[in-house]
Amino acid sequence: MSSKRHSTAPSAPKPPVHLSSHLTIADSAQLTGTHLIEIRGESVVHPRARLESSAGRIAVGRRCVVHERATVGAAPSAGGVSGRVAAAGADGGGGVVAVTLAECVTVEVGAVIEAGETVIGEGTVVGVGARVGARAVVGKHCTLTPYTEIAAGEVVPDFTVVYSNGLRRTDKRGVAELKNKGLARQIDVLKRMIPSNPAKFA
Amino acid sequence: MAALTPYTYIQCPCSDFSTLGRPSDPNPPTGTEAEVDDDGDDDRTFDPRAPRANYSLYPLEYLLYCEDCHQIRCPRCIAEEIVTYYCPNCLFEVPSSNLKSEGNRCTRSCFQCPVCIGPLAVTSVETKPDPSLLAAPDNAAAPHAGPYALTCSYCAWSSAEVGIQFEKQNGIHAQLAKLRNGGATRLTAKERKERRKDPSYRSQHTTEGPGAPHETEDLDLETQFANLKAFHQGQLVDPNSADTGLTALGDLGFSSPTSLSRIMSIYTGGSLQDKKAKSRVGAMREALDANEGFQVARLDESAAIEALRSEGHDGTASAAQLADQPPNLGEGHLHGRGRFTPGLRPIPYLLRTKRSKRCPVCRHIISKPEAKVQATRFRIRLVAGSYIPSIAIRPLALGSGSGSGGGGTSASGPAVPGALLEPLRPAHYLLTFKNPIFETIKVTLGAPAKTPGRLASKVTVLCPDFEIDANTDVWDEALNQGGAGGGGGAGGAGGGGGGERERRRRRGEDGAAGGGGGGGGSQSNINHQNQLEVGKIWERGRNWVSIVVEVVPASLRLEPGDAPLTEDEDILEIPMFVRVEWEGEAGGDEVGSVATRDREAREKRELAYWCVLGLGRIRP
Repeated sequence: MSSKRHSTAPSAPKPPVHLSSHLTIADSAQLTGTHLIEIRGESVVHPRARLESSAGRIAVGRRCVVHERATVGAAPSAGGVSGRVAAAGADGGGGVVAVTLAECVTVEVGAVIEAGETVIGEGTVVGVGARVGARAVVGKHCTLTPYTEIAAGEVVPDFTVVYSNGLRRTDKRGVAELKNKGLARQIDVLKRMIPSNPAKFA
Repeated sequence: MAALTPYTYIQCPCSDFSTLGRPSDPNPPTGTEAEVDDDGDDDRTFDPRAPRANYSLYPLEYLLYCEDCHQIRCPRCIAEEIVTYYCPNCLFEVPSSNLKSEGNRCTRSCFQCPVCIGPLAVTSVETKPDPSLLAAPDNAAAPHAGPYALTCSYCAWSSAEVGIQFEKQNGIHAQLAKLRNGGATRLTAKERKERRKDPSYRSQHTTEGPGAPHETEDLDLETQFANLKAFHQGQLVDPNSADTGLTALGDLGFSSPTSLSRIMSIYTGGSLQDKKAKSRVGAMREALDANEGFQVARLDESAAIEALRSEGHDGTASAAQLADQPPNLGEGHLHGRGRFTPGLRPIPYLLRTKRSKRCPVCRHIISKPEAKVQATRFRIRLVAGSYIPSIAIRPLALGSGSGSGGGGTSASGPAVPGALLEPLRPAHYLLTFKNPIFETIKVTLGAPAKTPGRLASKVTVLCPDFEIDANTDVWDEALNQGGAGGGGGAGGAGGGGGGERERRRRRGEDGAAGGGGGGGGSQSNINHQNQLEVGKIWERGRNWVSIVVEVVPASLRLEPGDAPLTEDEDILEIPMFVRVEWEGEAGGDEVGSVATRDREAREKRELAYWCVLGLGRIRP
């Protein structure tokens, strides 16, 4: 179904992008919006992943993986913060970073990260179908298990595991380095699997 | 309000005391008392709103059927037998002999996370990740070594958090049994004895004070019980334990050996029943030190309070988590037992069972799964759905039909399924009975004119008495339809094998009765345009018959002073008594040896049960 909807994309103007030369971005990834989308080296954007910059800049750090059907920079759901985000988007947007993904962030299939100064810390995994509200700040090396929701404006401390309908605990395994290593290996495979076409978005 | 899809629940006859243990008995009950009982039973209308009804109503899919008793069997009236025990995680079949010795949990390396009950995996704990590996991933193929821990991939719990690490990758269950939380190993009795002999340990303990009367050694539950048991057993056989000072209390004293031996025999199964002890009167002393199983209660909870202060609510284990914890005999004293997350241990998987089901009356097996764990098939499975007719409910929308059974107002059923029923306006529902058996069945329906309960809706079953053709081959129907299309009459059915004489006869009869009754496919079309007629089948197919039920829902308007509507009281539920009659082949065990000689002997069978038709909600 979404492949049919794809036909409307060419009419919209391309957002300004700043893509590193070492990244992997699939041909069918969708980059929309009006503000700058910056993706740094060794990151992987899967086919049909969406990055929307209508509310502000999108900054994706090194070694991030955005899986398919994940949406980074989605319009906030009805929750009362939209007014503020709209204001943030209206002030030119040059200084406002709508979504920041630090290094080694994984956004899994169908996850949604809302726009509005949302920050995802280093090494964090946003699980399948999870939703991170606008202005939320997720710390480093957190794990958001599938279908968890982080409310708008919430601050999640480092090494937090959000599981089972919002329960939280602290990850004391100390395997952050190990996880990064695994991610590096995964990116290595993905590089070979996904045909990259950054020229399409430039 | 959630839309209600029409449903049919069947009452298992087991909840009816009069039918229990009297399965399709051909002989009438001899005693007059029983007859009186039966009459009383027949008069009674089943009330689906009665509190008891909840426990006897089942969807057809839940019910089984005993072929020998010719009776419906529900989950309440079957006897279960365990076929196999297996671990749900590794699907390993556990012999029942192991179960007695090792308990009902998986003794292989299958564990659940104590925090989120996710499955745990054994991973190696790498103390120092080598940064050089990042650059050269090929090195990662090197075998993992060093300590292992159980980790949960969902909530990131690790057994290293509670100080449990394993040396080997396999045999986790045995290793875990020896480990306490925090990593301390459990001492065996031998080690404990050796430690006590150790001079350095001794000196350390004696420094606590020369006046300390008891040895304050921590025993785990198992050891404490063993020590206590050994001590008391020693007391029982010791002839010098009799204390002359307390003989006055006699056998009734708590510390008398006889009462103790009686208590011990309750727990240990009589092995301690000592005849000699009975004759002896005297008292015993109590255990005095750890060697004898004595443990001082630690009532000082300041450590727990301190932990609560520092860890907060997040550091405590929830009630559900504690309830999931398996009993651990290696645990320390019950006093001061941790209610904190560091006290949680990995949970070995509880074993699951596969069960066969027996009829409680005739002891025949009515459901038996394949013994192999991996197989999901059943060797025997007599589901009620293949013996008793299924009832499907569909609202019937009539363009401008007249309410033949009800009042003069125009009858209109809700067009969409699940729509609300208008109070006091007749609505029509189509009940489709489908015959699963290979015999023609005769169905007789009985429904009260008014539904029981406070809100009495009027119910009219337009055709309470009809026959359903046998469930024949699907191909026969296809051929019949072809014949009907050419010849025009249902009686001209040309299909069917030679063995289907009975069925053909039935068809011919229908064709003769033809006109209004609704026989074959072509006639049912005519019937569609017809008005609703009392006593006529709405539509008929190969092995199904549709009839119409007219309901006039009650008004939900309550008189002032009435109790408010209870939950789901606005659902229109019709109790209906279904009686199915058919001629089956004579069963050997019931008719006797004479009849079994005669293969052609037919036997009349009947099955009768209450069911409840839930039609929909009434608009308030």
